Amino acid sequence: MEEVDRILLNSLRQSGADIAEDVESVRQLTTELIVECVVRCLRILNPALGNGVSHLLPPGMSARFRIGMCLAQACQELGYQGEIGYQTFLYSNEPEIRRLLMFLVEKLPRDSADTADQPAEKSVLLQRLIATKIKQQLASAWLPPALRTTSLLNTQNSCLMNKFHSQALSLLSPSAPPLSPSQQSLLFTELWEYWEQHQPPVTAQAWDQACVAASVLERATADLSAVQEWEAEWNSQGLVSRLSPEEYKARKRQRLQSRIQEYLKQSSQRSEVRAGLAGTPAPDLTDPRPDHRCLRAKHSRFIHTEKFTFTQVSEDLSLHFSHQFPPPTPQDVQAEQQKEVRELEKQLKSLGEQIQDVRTAMETQTLTVNQVSEETRDRELSAEEKQQLLHIRKRALDLLPDAEGNLSKLQAVMEASAQRLVSLAGQWEKHRVPLIAEHRRLKQQLDSHELESSRRLMEIKEFHEKIKTSAEEAKRKENVHRQLVLELEHLSRGVGRAAYTQRILEIVSNISKQKEEITKILSDTKELQKEINSLTGKLDRTFAVTDELLFKDAKRDEAVRKAYKYLAALHENCSQLIETIEDTGTILREVRDLEELIDLETGKKTLINLEKILEDHRAIRQENAGLAGRLREA
Amino acid sequence: MVVLLNRLPAEDCPKFVHKVIDGVCGRALPRFRDYGAVWTLTEWMEILEGTTSFLKRAGGKHLSDEEILQLLDGLGLPHQEAVLKSLKGRKEELRQAMVEKTNDVSSAQLQDFDWQLKLPLSSDKIAFLQTPLLNLDLDVRENGILKPVSIEMNKEELQNLIHSLEAANKVVLQLK
Repeated sequence: MEEVDRILLNSLRQSGADIAEDVESVRQLTTELIVECVVRCLRILNPALGNGVSHLLPPGMSARFRIGMCLAQACQELGYQGEIGYQTFLYSNEPEIRRLLMFLVEKLPRDSADTADQPAEKSVLLQRLIATKIKQQLASAWLPPALRTTSLLNTQNSCLMNKFHSQALSLLSPSAPPLSPSQQSLLFTELWEYWEQHQPPVTAQAWDQACVAASVLERATADLSAVQEWEAEWNSQGLVSRLSPEEYKARKRQRLQSRIQEYLKQSSQRSEVRAGLAGTPAPDLTDPRPDHRCLRAKHSRFIHTEKFTFTQVSEDLSLHFSHQFPPPTPQDVQAEQQKEVRELEKQLKSLGEQIQDVRTAMETQTLTVNQVSEETRDRELSAEEKQQLLHIRKRALDLLPDAEGNLSKLQAVMEASAQRLVSLAGQWEKHRVPLIAEHRRLKQQLDSHELESSRRLMEIKEFHEKIKTSAEEAKRKENVHRQLVLELEHLSRGVGRAAYTQRILEIVSNISKQKEEITKILSDTKELQKEINSLTGKLDRTFAVTDELLFKDAKRDEAVRKAYKYLAALHENCSQLIETIEDTGTILREVRDLEELIDLETGKKTLINLEKILEDHRAIRQENAGLAGRLREA
Repeated sequence: MVVLLNRLPAEDCPKFVHKVIDGVCGRALPRFRDYGAVWTLTEWMEILEGTTSFLKRAGGKHLSDEEILQLLDGLGLPHQEAVLKSLKGRKEELRQAMVEKTNDVSSAQLQDFDWQLKLPLSSDKIAFLQTPLLNLDLDVRENGILKPVSIEMNKEELQNLIHSLEAANKVVLQLK
C-alpha cells in the first residue's frame, strides 16, 4: 500500500496540490488537503467543472457541505463508479479516499501534458518578467536628470535609445586589388609605415564612441558576406565554367565591360561621348558629379571650334581697332564704341553664318570627295583586271603563229602538271590518312576527357551538396542534442520512474507466485475432498456389511444383539462428531469474516467521524440559530 | 596652403596629412585645438580646405610624383617628402573613397541604416497582442540633405522587404 500511496502523492504534487514532503500515505491527508487534491485534479481533467470550485475549504459548515456535494457530483460526472457523497470528503476513510484518488490520477493526462507544459511555461515566464519590469518602472516616479541614481539612469535616460551609426574604418582589407611585386613592395613600405606609426586604433577611428561597435560589426558582416557570396557564386557557376578563379573573374569583368559599353553606345548617339568615355583610362575623380562631366563631354567638337574661332576673331579685331584709332573724346568714344560694337556684332553674325555655310558646304564636299575616291578605287581595280586580261590575250596572240607546236608543248606541260598533281595528291593522301586518324583519335580523347571532367564536376557538385546537407544535419542534431540534454536536466526529478517499474515487476512476480501457491492449495483441498468422499463411501459400505452380518446373527445370539446395538450407537456418535467438526469449521470461518469486518469498520474511523459529525451538527445548529436570530432582528 | 604648411614642424606633417586623408575617407578630420598654436582660425580653415583639395586632386587624377612635387613647390624638402610618402601609402584608400563618392550619382542615396525590434504586449483595443514589429530607420541623403525615413513593419512585410532586397542583391552580384 505504501508504494501505491507514494505514487499517488507524487502525481498529486505534480498536478499542483500543495502537499508537504513529510506526508507519506493517504492516511495522513487532512480533509483540507483531500479537497484541494480533488479540486486540482478536476481542474486539469475538466476546467469547466473544476474552476467553479475553490480549492480552499471555507470555514462555514454549510459551505463545506455544498462543496462536498459539488465535488461528489463532479466525480460522478467523470465516471466514478463507487459510492460517493459529501461524507466521502468531509468524513473521509482511507480506502474510499484511496480509491477515489486512484481513479482521478489514472484519468490525469500523462506525458503529453508534461511536454506541452515546458515551452508554454518559458514564454509565460518571459511575459511575467516583462510585466513585472514594466510595473516596476511605472511605479517609480520620474526624476529630473540630475537626481537620478544609477539604476534609474538605465530606465529613464534616453542615452540607451541612441541609434547606431556606422562609418568606414581603415583596416587591412582582404579584398585589396592584386599588385605586381615591385609595386607591392614599394607600396608596402609606405603602407607599413602608416600602419605602424600613424594609423589610430579602431576604437579611436570613429566619430563617436557609440559608433565603434556598429562600425566594426558592419565591416565584419560586409567582409563575411562578400566571401560567402563569392563562394556561393563559385560553387554554382564558377566550377561549371572549368576556369581558375582568376580567369573566371577576368572573363566576368570583360563581359561586364563589353555590356556596359554596348549600353552606352545604345543610349548615346554621339560618337564623341563614346570616344570620351572609352578613351579616358583614369577618369577625373576630383569632380564627384559625372553627369556634369558627361554634359561637358557632350559639347561636340563643333561647338569647341566655334568658340575658339569666335574668340580669336574678336580678339584680332579688337586689337586691330585699338591700334588704328587714337583715343578721342569720351562721348565720341562711347558712341564710337557702341557703333563699333553693333557693327562688330553684325559682322560677327554674318561671319558666323558664313562659317555655318562654309561648314555645310565642306561637309557636302567631303562627302563627294569620299564618293569620288571610292569611285576611283573601283575604277583602278577594274583597270587592273583588264590589264591582266590583256596580258593573257597578248601571250595567246604571241603563241598563235606556231599553233601546232605550241599546242603540243602546252599539252605536254599540262600532262606533266596533271601527273605532278596526281603524285602530289597521292602524297597528300599518304600524309592525310594518318593525320586524319590522329585527329580522330585526339577528338575521341577530348570527348572522353570532357565526359570525365563533366562527371567529375557532377561528383564535386554532389559532394558540395552532401557537405551542405550533412553540415545542416549536424547542426540540427546538435540542437536536438542540446535540447535533449536540457530536458534530461529537467527530468532528473522523475528518477523514481525506473524504481517504480522495478517494484511493479516485483509485485507482479510476487502475485504470480502467490497464484501458484493458491492453485496448489486448491488442488490439495480437492484431493482431500476426494479422500474424504472415498473414506465416507468405504465407511458406509463397511457399516452396511457389518450391519447386515450382525443383524443376521442378532436373531440367534443375545451378545451379538448387544454388539449390534453398540454398533448403531457408535455409528450415530461418529456421525454426530463429524457434524460437529464441520460446524466448528464454518463457525471459525464466520469468526474470521467478522474479524475482517471489524477491522474494516475500525479503519473507517467511525467514532472520530461520529464525533466530527456531531460537532458539525452542532455548528450547523448554531449557524441556523444565528441566522434565525438575524432574521428575527431584521 | 604651401606657405601655411611650412609652419608645421616636418615631423608633425605626416600625422596631419593622414588625419586629413581620414577626413576625406569619411572619418574624423583633425581638430583645431590640436593645432591652435600653429595657425589662427582663419588660417586653419584655409589650410584645411587647401590640403583637402590638394589631396583630392593628387589622389584622384593619378598624378605622377613630379607633378605632385610641382604642386608642392615652395614647401621645404622634408615637408615635401613627408607629404609625398603619406600620400603614396594612402593612395589606394583615397581613390576608393572618391570612387565611392562618384558612385553616388542618383538624387537620393542610402547613407546609413539602423533597426530596432519591438514587442508590443497589448494595445488600447487588444489585451493580448504580442506581435513583434521591426522599426527600420534609413538615413537618406537627398540633394545633399540628410533625411531620416522611418518604417515600421510586421513579420510579413519584413519578409517581403527582405525578399526584394535579396533579388536586388542577386542583380548586383552579377555586376561584381
